[in-house]
Amino acid sequence: MQWFGKKTKTHYEKLSEKWVKRHVAIQENLWKKHGKVLQEIRDKTKQYAISSLAGMLLLLSPATQIKGADIKTVKEAPVVPDLPKQSQFLIDLATVVPQQVRELSPQEEGQIAQVLSQYTGMKVSAELGGIRLNRTYGFIGKEQHLARYPGDTMATHFDNPDDAATFAEAGMAPGLGGWGYFTTNGQFTQEDALREKYYIAVQTFLAPGYADNVRKYSEFFRWRKMLVVNPQNGKALVADIGDAGPAVWTGKQLGGSPEVMNYLQRVDGAQRGPVLYFFIDDPQNNIPLGPVQL
Amino acid sequence: MKKHFYSSIITTDSLHIALESLEVSQEEKEHLEMLVDSSLYHTILNAILSELSESDKRLFLEQLLSENDDEILSFLSKKIDHIEDKIKTAADSLIEELHKDIEETKKK
Repeated sequence: MQWFGKKTKTHYEKLSEKWVKRHVAIQENLWKKHGKVLQEIRDKTKQYAISSLAGMLLLLSPATQIKGADIKTVKEAPVVPDLPKQSQFLIDLATVVPQQVRELSPQEEGQIAQVLSQYTGMKVSAELGGIRLNRTYGFIGKEQHLARYPGDTMATHFDNPDDAATFAEAGMAPGLGGWGYFTTNGQFTQEDALREKYYIAVQTFLAPGYADNVRKYSEFFRWRKMLVVNPQNGKALVADIGDAGPAVWTGKQLGGSPEVMNYLQRVDGAQRGPVLYFFIDDPQNNIPLGPVQL
Repeated sequence: MKKHFYSSIITTDSLHIALESLEVSQEEKEHLEMLVDSSLYHTILNAILSELSESDKRLFLEQLLSENDDEILSFLSKKIDHIEDKIKTAADSLIEELHKDIEETKKK
């Protein structure tokens, strides 16, 4: 059965999409015109106590990612106890995620991992078992669906009409994912379906040490769970590494399945935006793939 | 909504009422209100900073950290003519745009 109708966006989806863009534009304009003095004040916030950080909260959030106070002080007491957890999450992220999308320092990665772990309850880190990716903060592009098993096509790919209506237009990649079909011992399971649904492509080939340990690294990255977060709206999901890419020349650092992109409210092209992506330590495979409710 | 130094000058009640007319959950409404709050904050900051000298910008932002609303407004009124009108104008312009967005959302 095929479902190719167009899904209608909800009021919230339409308005939040528009207002997030507007908010980013307003913040960018502010920083463009007054960046020098804002930067000075940002640096000064390191000397202030918690209440000062609260005073700066809107200057820093939610779409402007500039770092300020030591995250340790943020953890000691709620900065703005009257805000919903999602908003609190955005504010805490804004204090540790830099405005410029770039490679993070180990210190920054540690601070961000601490915030992510605190809010999700998961053990999150930039490095796991001595292996890390080239980046933990970068631009995400939209990937196509991947064939999950031999014979999987766009006609068989979706569980329901809504998903088909929303995600069919992305199409299916001509090749397989980096680790072949999404099957377990030749069987296609529900977990395999979720692996494809929430897959990301990361630049495994640029991971430090990859060239000297291709097999080891490949086994490590295969379907490895990662927490992916849009720092501009606080949306987070547990994804798995299902493919390698994108190419360096694209200017993007990772790719997301249509479902991942949709949930995070990230788009490709000129309006592309950044995400944080950190490993999840889940040796017992207890953490489910998909959106994370904070 | 968080109280700001300009909370006595502007009101966003009309936006809250307009948001009530949309089919959104409480959580979604809170997120939208946060975007309103933060967009207004940045817009007003921009309007104020554009009127101040470099040294006064620093003083203003440092006062902002102190969260003493009365002092902030007192400082601004000394430095900028008709500061309350300027804050109101900047805010009203954005609020009008946000209202248009809400109306368009309902139409589609």
